[in-house]
Amino acid sequence: MSIIEVDGLTKTYQVAQKKEGVLGALRGLYRREYREVHAVERIHFRIEPGEMVAFLGPNGAGKTTTLKMLSGLIYPTAGQARVLGYVPWERADVFRRQFALVMGQKNQLWWDLPAADSFQLLREIYAIPPAEFKSTLDELTGLLGVEKLTRQAVRELSLGERMKMELIAALLHRPRLLLLDEPTIGLDVVAQGMIQKCLRDYHARRGVTTLLTSHYMRDVEALCDRVIVINHGHLVYDGPLSRIVERFSETKLIRLQFEAEAPDDLGRFGEVVRRDGPFAEVKVGRSQVAAVLAAVLDRHSVADVSVEEPPLEEVIARVFEEARASHDAA
Amino acid sequence: MGILSGIARYLRLLGGLAVYTLNRELAFRGNFLVKVSVEVIWLAILIAFYRVVFARTSTVAGWDEPQYLFFVGCFFALNGLIEMLFLENCNEFAELVRTGDLDGLLLKPIDEQFLITCRRIDWGTAPNVLMGSAVMGIALANAGWQPDLLRIATFLVTFVCGTAIAYGFMLMLTSISVWMVRNQSLMEMWWLFSSLARYPKEIFSGPWAEPLGAFFTYCVPILVVVNVPANAMVRVLDGPMVALTIAATVLLLWASRRFFHYALRSYRSASS
Repeated sequence: MSIIEVDGLTKTYQVAQKKEGVLGALRGLYRREYREVHAVERIHFRIEPGEMVAFLGPNGAGKTTTLKMLSGLIYPTAGQARVLGYVPWERADVFRRQFALVMGQKNQLWWDLPAADSFQLLREIYAIPPAEFKSTLDELTGLLGVEKLTRQAVRELSLGERMKMELIAALLHRPRLLLLDEPTIGLDVVAQGMIQKCLRDYHARRGVTTLLTSHYMRDVEALCDRVIVINHGHLVYDGPLSRIVERFSETKLIRLQFEAEAPDDLGRFGEVVRRDGPFAEVKVGRSQVAAVLAAVLDRHSVADVSVEEPPLEEVIARVFEEARASHDAA
Repeated sequence: MGILSGIARYLRLLGGLAVYTLNRELAFRGNFLVKVSVEVIWLAILIAFYRVVFARTSTVAGWDEPQYLFFVGCFFALNGLIEMLFLENCNEFAELVRTGDLDGLLLKPIDEQFLITCRRIDWGTAPNVLMGSAVMGIALANAGWQPDLLRIATFLVTFVCGTAIAYGFMLMLTSISVWMVRNQSLMEMWWLFSSLARYPKEIFSGPWAEPLGAFFTYCVPILVVVNVPANAMVRVLDGPMVALTIAATVLLLWASRRFFHYALRSYRSASS
């Protein structure tokens, strides 16, 4: 059975339109105009047990709205969803005991108290047996290296430390499903890496199904094999991470190191991205890579060569652009 | 889960929340002491005022001085209990809706109404309950009151009912925040509520006031909240009024819970 089943899920908001100036505000008192915002439109997907899936899209694409419907925070306008076998917006206790939602921009810990106090309260709320609570807490504080910080008031922790505590709070009850909304937002590279490592290790140990939204492609590359892309509320891609690059990128990047100065005729093979002393980078069509390499090696003395896929950020940006163009055309 | 184990779990949780909020209050001792001092001064002013009134008359609206003192103590204890358990939580609800911080509470595997309305105990108003109880005790001693089990039982039941009625009204006013988002009117409405509840219903006399008193007794039963328990203890044990209070409690708790859940369906969760 799928962990998440989404069929035609739709969410439309009525957003009040405020008029400018005092007269506009007064007019708004008796007649208010509304605009319909289609946050999510008839999306379908399935997520199987143990998968780690990235849910990507530009700002306002409908990612967070979808996560909020899947966690039962908001009701859909239309469509169906079953999460862990339950209708999420019925918010059955037995359902809520089996998943966790971590939002990078919101915190659930008590600001003025040490994180350890919030953990104890969560133990009561989730009715976690004391022995299980202790072993999970030890495991998670060890994974994240925060054993000595749990007795410090949350407001005195750094953003990275706070995020680690939020993650611990979310995993204490050993959820079967983890919904992560921008878990590394605002964190430095080291803290991001630590959160990624913790999530990877935890997934390897417990096989928790994970749905992640993030604007950091490092998170996606480090954690997910499958990607779902949403834009303007519509699903535009659902498939393996490796295939999104093939499908949406027409070029590859050839990195060259010549024996002497890089030649100035490289433009004939493709787009020269960089030429600096003996180093050069040329973007060429995927189907032309072999021919270009043969021609370059035939004409010039090459010390080193590598062929790379373009950066994921670039590919995803292209996916978003294409989706935006087709949406505007429609 | 059985009903008893369910109740035990929620009582344990309430205890846990009470301890955590006490820790939090004590982390800001100055604020805590100021709040307690203000409440002590407020009660002293109230009692001084009624002593001045009773220096010039023997009864107010049919209540003699010890009876009225008991009424004041009852109001103070009941109001203190509501402020201690629910007022701050309900007042913060609009802010939780506005910021989207309500998300964290709705995700917990626990009754939403319990978590939202009971998650913080306002320990700064807890002394009011003790002070109100002390005033009631003094009033009973002044009146030469003889213990009567039926009156005590009726008082306890109707005192709990009065608290539940006030909670029901507060929950309904709070629920409106889901649509209004900013709901500063809750405090004003609560002030109006407590202003109505703090006087004996007999003051509503005369051609204009009597219908108003009836309205706030039978339609919007604010006047029964303090009047019925205080009456049961020191004046008339009025069976029909006790029955009305119990019925109003059941109806209001049911209706306010339904309304709260209906409101939550419209929650939009502020964007992250």
